[in-house]
Amino acid sequence: MEFGKNLLKTVPTGLLIALLLMPSPAHAVQIHGPPEGFVVHMMGHIFFASALIFLIYILHKYPLDNRPAWKYFKVSIFFWLIWNLDTFLVHILSVRLPKEAIVTGSHLVHSRLKGPFDFERLMFYFGKFDHFLCVPAMYCLAMSLKDFCKQVEEQLETVDPSDHII
Amino acid sequence: MIESLPLFPVYVVDFVGALMTAVFSLIAFFYARRLTILQPKSVLWTYMFWFSMALVALAVSRGVGHTVRFVLLYMGLPHIWKDIAPFSGGLNTITFTSVAVLTFYYSNVRDVIDRVKDDAEALYEANLRLQSAQEALRRLNQNLEQMVEERTRELRQSEKKFRGLFEGSKDMIFFCNNKHVIEDINPSGVELLGFKSREEVIGKPFSKFFKDKKQWKMFRDEICEKGHIKDIEAELVRPDGSTRYVILTISVMKDENGNTWGCEGIGKDITKMKQVTESLIQSEKMASVGQLAAGVAHEINTPLGIILGYAQLLEEECAKNPDALESLQIIEKQTKICKRIVGDLLKFSRSSSDSDITDVDINECIKEVLAVTEHSLNMDRIYVHRNLEDNLPRIKGKKEKLRQVIINLLNNAHHAIGNEGIIGIWTEYDQDNDEIRVIIGDNGTGIPPEIQNKIFDPFFTTKSVGKGTGLGLSVSFGIIKDHGGYIEAQSPPKEKRFIDAGMETVMIIHLPVNTQL
Repeated sequence: MEFGKNLLKTVPTGLLIALLLMPSPAHAVQIHGPPEGFVVHMMGHIFFASALIFLIYILHKYPLDNRPAWKYFKVSIFFWLIWNLDTFLVHILSVRLPKEAIVTGSHLVHSRLKGPFDFERLMFYFGKFDHFLCVPAMYCLAMSLKDFCKQVEEQLETVDPSDHII
Repeated sequence: MIESLPLFPVYVVDFVGALMTAVFSLIAFFYARRLTILQPKSVLWTYMFWFSMALVALAVSRGVGHTVRFVLLYMGLPHIWKDIAPFSGGLNTITFTSVAVLTFYYSNVRDVIDRVKDDAEALYEANLRLQSAQEALRRLNQNLEQMVEERTRELRQSEKKFRGLFEGSKDMIFFCNNKHVIEDINPSGVELLGFKSREEVIGKPFSKFFKDKKQWKMFRDEICEKGHIKDIEAELVRPDGSTRYVILTISVMKDENGNTWGCEGIGKDITKMKQVTESLIQSEKMASVGQLAAGVAHEINTPLGIILGYAQLLEEECAKNPDALESLQIIEKQTKICKRIVGDLLKFSRSSSDSDITDVDINECIKEVLAVTEHSLNMDRIYVHRNLEDNLPRIKGKKEKLRQVIINLLNNAHHAIGNEGIIGIWTEYDQDNDEIRVIIGDNGTGIPPEIQNKIFDPFFTTKSVGKGTGLGLSVSFGIIKDHGGYIEAQSPPKEKRFIDAGMETVMIIHLPVNTQL
């Protein structure tokens, strides 16, 4: 009688352990291959560009004032948008560029981009100088915020800080 | 034809540009952070902070990435950069995706903020309108308060005026509800109805005070029918049993719908006037009776003198006939009685010059009378209490006549008491009316109300036949009238002091001090 009871407890436990130790493939987790990272990055650029266009639209629709802060901000947004398009283009061109087009050489100084220099390859080469766009973009953002700071400090000398909510 | 282009300038620009971007991003981050500190509630600065934060991350990621790549490529380790590059690219993706998310999110927040702002502005405007309305209401309230204050003042003055009229009126003013129960009454009314306080009267039905209940029902019906009664004489009963004659005018009170909710009335006390009128009527009656009596007395006096004369002559002639003599003596005696009655009638009817006018001390006069009569009073255990005021002014009068009046009143008191009792005599000077009052009271049987107005009539007596002629009070009345005064009978007495002294009846002689006789 006692043996029967122990058997009833032992058999289901053993089956459970056996199932846990011998799982079949679940196919629940999707595998992300190498092109997905590039696609995600490019989608990120598109998302970023659309956000910047949206911001420009908002600033155009709801103009605030003509202080330097907002002008800097708008210029910054504009540069970020150009930079974004530039890097997007360069990413596409770099994928299309054949491997042998870039010659690294024995030293970094000797690295070169080989011809023939058609429009696409020239675009790639000059597009690589994207810092000429993002540095002014960041500079304008910094200047914009600096002017905002100045503006707020002037405002706080006369107005209660809790009044400003936008 | 260019065969190749160097990539080194690209790497240099990347390296320097990345460093500059990182520096500018840190500056931007500093100012964004400062803005959030200066105005922590600002949604724009919060957005700017996270916007720059994400760009700092992008700049640092790219800066570090480019620097590391530059260094690794420079060092000839491109395979390491190949391993790191995906992380740098992934971080860059996250950063500008974050900027995009923040931008879209800020826009929505901005919309919400705009709506909140609009609501706040609407609320602010509503608040301004409310303040304006409150101000208008306050002004209105102030005006209303002033108006109420003014109306209250006017009402108070009006109330004071009418309250003064109500409280100060010497006539009774009262208000009854629609069941004719007294709801309010003025002090004169309280006094007239014989109460001490208003509270004792309020709540009592007005009909309760009517001596004749049928008369009240008649008045009530007339009030209901016509809405008022005017100048109606009524006899009201006081709690002590005494009565007051009043002239009543009562009107019903109606509300704005024409429903009767009570009545208001004025009552004028005419008791004294009625007494004076009755007294005048009595005087006139006495005067006419006096004239008649004088004529009759004069006519009878002569035949009586002749009868008496002849009777006395016959007595002399019939001295020896005892039977005839006795009859003649009876004739003589009765004739003399008749002459005395006629004499009294003549005294009553005309001003006699039997005694001289002198300065009379009333107290002395009373003492002289008592010296003669007190003994016989005491025989019947009747005792006299004297309350004679000292220093009474003397009056011009006929001492003998006044003495006769006092004797008459004492005789009446004696008769009223019979055996065992008290007679009280008071004398006093009333400065206000400049008169002396002599009050003679007794604790006898009192005068029934139904004969009170007849006691001064000639020949009216309550004594048994042969004991009184009914001329005592009439003669006394005539004498006092000759002295310019009058006699007042009160049974029971009105003044408490007489009641306290046990008097049932008081006869009050009013004698003016200065009078032309």
